[in-house]
Amino acid sequence: MINIQDIRDTARDMLAKGEVRAVIGYRHGTRGMLAEPAFITNPEQAGELVWDPTCFHNLSLYLVEDRKFLAHLNKTSAAPIAIMAKGCDARSIVVLLQEHYFKREDVYIIGVSCEGSGVVDERKLASHLNGFQALNAVFDGDDFVFTTAQGEKRLPAREVMADRCLECRNPFPKENNVVFGEDKTGRELAVPFAALARFEAQGTGERWDFWSHHFDRCIRCFACRSVCPMCYCDECVVDSITFPVTPATTAEEKANRIRWIERSATRSENITYLMTRAMHLAGRCTDCGECERACPVNVPIRLLNNKMEREAREKFGFEPGASIGGPSLVASFLDSDPGDFIR
Amino acid sequence: MSEPQADFEPKIVAFLCKWCSSAGSDLAGVSRIQYPANATPITIPCTGAVSPMYILSAFNKGADGVLVSGCHIGDCHYIEGNFLARRKMHLTVELLKFIGLEPDRFRMSWVSAAEGAKFAQVVTEFVDDVKKLGPQDKLKKVVSP
Repeated sequence: MINIQDIRDTARDMLAKGEVRAVIGYRHGTRGMLAEPAFITNPEQAGELVWDPTCFHNLSLYLVEDRKFLAHLNKTSAAPIAIMAKGCDARSIVVLLQEHYFKREDVYIIGVSCEGSGVVDERKLASHLNGFQALNAVFDGDDFVFTTAQGEKRLPAREVMADRCLECRNPFPKENNVVFGEDKTGRELAVPFAALARFEAQGTGERWDFWSHHFDRCIRCFACRSVCPMCYCDECVVDSITFPVTPATTAEEKANRIRWIERSATRSENITYLMTRAMHLAGRCTDCGECERACPVNVPIRLLNNKMEREAREKFGFEPGASIGGPSLVASFLDSDPGDFIR
Repeated sequence: MSEPQADFEPKIVAFLCKWCSSAGSDLAGVSRIQYPANATPITIPCTGAVSPMYILSAFNKGADGVLVSGCHIGDCHYIEGNFLARRKMHLTVELLKFIGLEPDRFRMSWVSAAEGAKFAQVVTEFVDDVKKLGPQDKLKKVVSP
């Protein structure tokens, strides 16, 4: 059981001593029970930090934003940034470090273990509260306790937990500077890749019916890209609007740029976008599930990423975010890689 | 999926590595081996240079099948390019199958510069398989009139 006061004290101390220039964490938001990302630079604000089942955001995104911001100002990092990281978030940070996106000393990881539970899935919770909005949520052992206008509602965590948390194998942030909570690695709440296995058991036709339906619905708002800490490219290959245009860019240059896909949200273009994204995240996605949560039309993006994750794990023995010094998935190979699909 | 048509001639995009399969296709040509003319060859420096985007883009632009062919394992001009390609293409083909594209729409082969006959055979078999599937309209861009 994590005592939030310990995290607040740590944050306050570090900010007061000037060891870090900011603490990225969670605070109580303005919409019901939900936590929101907090960027704390003043030691007095450290008391705002919270840790509850609604802390689902992957905050490593803001490390990426900070680095981009500093690069834009042509500055280097004066002091590290401290960040609250769950198991999946810590793995995201490891992948970013593996790709040399920033240096290890630029980040101070305040690990928070998800212990026996994980974060809540709002959609699952909605069916349990008789239409009332939850105003507060707290961890309590293997349960979540929600406060609504009707009073307290205690629910077993696994009934309302996000799927990714049920399937999570590493709820403990292995890479950390300081860690709160117990290491409950190896807890088995659900079989990993259960949804994927169910989906794959279907035939080609059914799979296509399922995906064509979802590819039709995608509106290409790029929320999945915006929320993903791994989608840090300044120029996105599948979005021509991100190609840089300076006063020196000639009309000819603009006209001759390769536009792999159109920007219209049609099925074929959506397929290419989502598949390219899945490929670019292969071996990098740490299954924080933020893309699927951010999706306004509920496209099951996690399935695609899970598929890549499982292929990497089963065929290449590759675990994303396992170690900072390790090779990346598509820039390494083994003699034993499967080649039976090649004639 | 469309019904197979008797007179359907599939469009195949063939990404051929410069050092082996391109030379292999050349050998098939100079040896006057007869094989279907459906494959449009695109020479690439190495199979390791094939981005999954090339394949997705080919399907997007209306290819009925995509062939990627390069040097045998261990023969890569760049030492390890085809090892990298093997891993990348495995992921790509699994993803394509996952969303429900017929597995026979994509093919990868190792064809050396001395294997003109094998190149002809690979293309012949691939064209036959794609013919059975009919036109590819799942990933194809629909151009509005």
